[in-house]
Amino acid sequence: MTTAASTATGAAAGATSTGEVQKLRRTASAGGADHSAGRSPASTILVTGILVLVAIYFLVPVYWVIVAATKTTDDLFATNGFWFADTFALFSNLQQVLTYDNGIFVRWFANSLLYAGVGAVLATYFAAAGGYALSAYRFRGSNLVFGTILGGVLVPGTATALPLFLLFSQLGLANTYWAVLIPSLVSPYGLFLCRIYADASVSPSLLEAARLDGASELRIFHSVGLRVLTPALVTVFLFQLVGIWNNYFLPLVMLSDQRLYPITLGLVNWRSQTDRLPEFYQLTTAGVLLSVIPLAIAMIVLQRFWRGGLTEGSVK
Amino acid sequence: MTTMTRRNLLRLGALAGAGAVTAGCATPGTTSVNAEPTVPAAPAGETITLTYWAWLKDLQKVCDVWNAQNPHIQVQASWIQGGNAGGYQKLYSALAAGGGPDLGQVELRSLPEFMLVNGLVDLRRYGVDDYADRYNEALWQQVSYVDGVYGIPQDSGPMALYYRPDLLDAVGAAPPQTWAQWADVARAVRDTGAHLDCFNYADASWFAAMAQQAGARWLRVEDDSWVIALADETTLEVARFFDAAIDEGLLTTAYGQFSTPWFAAAANNDIAGLISASWGDALLQGVSGASGLWRVAPMPRWETGYASSFLGGSSAAVMANSRHPKEAMEFAVWMTTRPEGINAMIEHCGIGWSPASDYIGSAREGGSEFFGGQPYNTEVFEPAAAPAAQNLEWSWWPITQQSFNILADGFRAKAAGGTLVDAVVAAQGTIVRTFRNKGLTIREETA
Amino acid sequence: MSDPTTVRRRKRSVSSPGAAPWLLLAPFLAVFAFTFVLPIIVAVGNSFTRVTRLGVFGEEGVITEFAWFANYAQALENGNFIASIGRMLLFGVVQVTVMITLSTVLALLLESASARWPGVFRAIYFLPYGIPGVVATILWSFLYVPGLSPIIDVAAWVGWDVDFLGAGSVLWSIANIVTWTYAGYNMLIIVAQLKAIPGEVYEAARVDGAGPLRMAFAIQLPLIRPALVLTVVFSIIGTLQLFAEPQVLATVAPSIDSEYTPNLSAYTTAFAYNDYNVAAAQAVLIALVAFALSFTFLRLTNRSSS
Repeated sequence: MTTAASTATGAAAGATSTGEVQKLRRTASAGGADHSAGRSPASTILVTGILVLVAIYFLVPVYWVIVAATKTTDDLFATNGFWFADTFALFSNLQQVLTYDNGIFVRWFANSLLYAGVGAVLATYFAAAGGYALSAYRFRGSNLVFGTILGGVLVPGTATALPLFLLFSQLGLANTYWAVLIPSLVSPYGLFLCRIYADASVSPSLLEAARLDGASELRIFHSVGLRVLTPALVTVFLFQLVGIWNNYFLPLVMLSDQRLYPITLGLVNWRSQTDRLPEFYQLTTAGVLLSVIPLAIAMIVLQRFWRGGLTEGSVK
Repeated sequence: MTTMTRRNLLRLGALAGAGAVTAGCATPGTTSVNAEPTVPAAPAGETITLTYWAWLKDLQKVCDVWNAQNPHIQVQASWIQGGNAGGYQKLYSALAAGGGPDLGQVELRSLPEFMLVNGLVDLRRYGVDDYADRYNEALWQQVSYVDGVYGIPQDSGPMALYYRPDLLDAVGAAPPQTWAQWADVARAVRDTGAHLDCFNYADASWFAAMAQQAGARWLRVEDDSWVIALADETTLEVARFFDAAIDEGLLTTAYGQFSTPWFAAAANNDIAGLISASWGDALLQGVSGASGLWRVAPMPRWETGYASSFLGGSSAAVMANSRHPKEAMEFAVWMTTRPEGINAMIEHCGIGWSPASDYIGSAREGGSEFFGGQPYNTEVFEPAAAPAAQNLEWSWWPITQQSFNILADGFRAKAAGGTLVDAVVAAQGTIVRTFRNKGLTIREETA
Repeated sequence: MSDPTTVRRRKRSVSSPGAAPWLLLAPFLAVFAFTFVLPIIVAVGNSFTRVTRLGVFGEEGVITEFAWFANYAQALENGNFIASIGRMLLFGVVQVTVMITLSTVLALLLESASARWPGVFRAIYFLPYGIPGVVATILWSFLYVPGLSPIIDVAAWVGWDVDFLGAGSVLWSIANIVTWTYAGYNMLIIVAQLKAIPGEVYEAARVDGAGPLRMAFAIQLPLIRPALVLTVVFSIIGTLQLFAEPQVLATVAPSIDSEYTPNLSAYTTAFAYNDYNVAAAQAVLIALVAFALSFTFLRLTNRSSS
């Protein structure tokens, strides 16, 4: 019943979305230019001032955790949160984080890397193949397939997590690495992006030329399709990577073995112990700091590659 | 796989779909392990490994004491989050998946919920009666349901009043012996800006413990049916008392006991006391700079009822999918009644009160530096835990947590003008409906 | 999974693609069917099943039967569940509006010539997106808790008594966390769209003597509409999925109950109350509401644009 309904709505939603995209593509014939109406010193100060204020808002929690990670639990409660305490406990805190419970933190980190890395690579490849197929070929059922997948974009991931758990339980997959990995392999949104991008950038003449050379269809995809799609693939990969890295609900439902936890679940686990065992405050703050640093760096570096998804089809 | 035609693909999909529908519709927890034959003990000489999921810290060190003495029965402990904060969700989902540990830490109040989904082994089938006399009668009562025994009491929480003598002295007050006196002291303390306790709208278990002390008996089994008396006069009296105390501002409702803001307030000398269980002693020591400041006194009494009550308390329950229930039970009995087990648990896990009827643990026999040398365990908690000081009629029911949430929802309405009394009356109706939705038989007590 | 050599030998035809598209789609569809379609079928199946336990503990028998809409009725009778949906609608209307406005303003400012160091600011604003929601919540929860939070200390110092975790304010404290996490991400989508506006458009406007404000309202906003629509739809879906933030925050905020959001309600029903069937009905209802909302929004924006 839901499948039928989702197909119908999905197809309709798909139609509207592709409409949006086409509009979008029309507006995007040339790159942006310096379009200022002049730059007066007053407006520069005003605008920059606003931007600085907003930047402070975004940075305050990060600054706080840097300070907090240097404190003992006693100082955490006793000293002002925006400034350092007399005892500088950062290194002992970090050492605790890395060694607690035989280095479980490192394991969580590695798990997160595994889930996000493997999941994102495969999901990107699958989405690329699917999106390319839907774009490069006209075949019976393609609209139905695309509509159904678009319906998947609109289904909240958490709505499927509970039934997925029951299903995985019965297959003996719950509480294994597979329980988190398998659902991470599919990105309907990624397929959607790849298809739009392929529509715009994979020209039939290119494929025709490859075919005349005698290449098989699969080979054409791997040699021509993937190459042309690369910019979109970067976006899909990053999108999926962050999505899996940040996921909490799915591993929460699926995993009961701490050794399989990703970092999100592990840190919540520590945080939840602070009420009973105050020494966990140090572990939590230092652990949060350690987990935030690599991602913060990654975000700052990667934001250049982040074309913001939909516009991918038009920005070349 | 050579080629995959579209028809094949569709066929495969349809097949998988049909399989999943049949499999998916089998709701977990609908078959009973207690109707199957008992599992025989492992043959001598074979080494088995038992798993135990609990939220006690360093439980493995306790298991190691046992493991050294029992090379053929090795116990492995895994840490889970406390009860409904996540641990039960893990246990339930493992049970639903057909797996899970041999032993699980289950609060006494949650045993019936696990029974309802056929999650526990009836230990009477494995000869648990031989050990019954080793346990505190009040606790044994809380693991016995209908004709079975569904857990080994592991720790409990006899209640008392923790207080700050310096803050009470400042207003010329002594620890109150009755709840009426408690209100007077709270009023005096309030004038200095501190609170004598807090009332956590989000957690009804504390309120339940108060009603339990006053002599209430919320649910019981009678003639194959549940009987509910949640909104009886005893409970309503307790509700009225706390309605008045909250209205007067004697209790703060901004945070619960031992929450992060509570610790901050306690470190700031804003908390003059709290009524909590014996396990609160370890938590109090987490308050910044509190050493030597706190003492323990017996709970204030209602006009009816008992000297004390229990808050919290858990069992080691043998889970339905255990392949070695007999051995699991024996380990649990060893851990909770043998002095080396009890002492190891106190030393490593800092557990609540020992469930054994005759041994409180050597570490608890002397005075405590944190409590200014007061031998509070023998002085206050040992008498409080005695069956004579406890409501032996009290038992738990299959939707305890949901009932507590229903009560808490009502309590929260007090912030918007409701009352605890309203909440209690409304909760009784909702709980009855919830029982019936599950198909269980229940009737309201006709006074 | 499939052997490309076999395919190469078989497939040289150009005119009919044959199995090629299905081969390319196969891995995606297989996982999609397994993790999207099947769970939905299972959820629907479960939501129409009912388990009743007779007697005191179900010892007199457990009956599993087809329940028609009984589970849906029970889910909809649950005042907390309905309240949680209402709460999320309120949350969505306010938070999504605030966040998208903030993202748009930031994007316009960053793309205006008056901004210094736009790259640095863009990176700073985008940074929280890489911080998982639960970790962001742990961070902010420390800044919300009285006694730990320097923000409350500072506010008290200027005589302002703030309570981030009270019954009336905690929803907006959650909104703040969500906004903090996603505003930069949405901003980036809008920036990308702004960069795609052709220079001639600005040129023409400048000739007409349009100032920066007029430029924003008359040119930039209409042209970034598709990006705005997209960000709003994803925000709506995200709002209905809200789970981690309230769940983690509940440990310090007594006013967050176990059914504070629809997802939390379904999770509690399934794993704390062990009522998988009603939980399945809730999950289906959540999906339907998300669907209906996104669909309605797309319809509305489509109509107003044509």
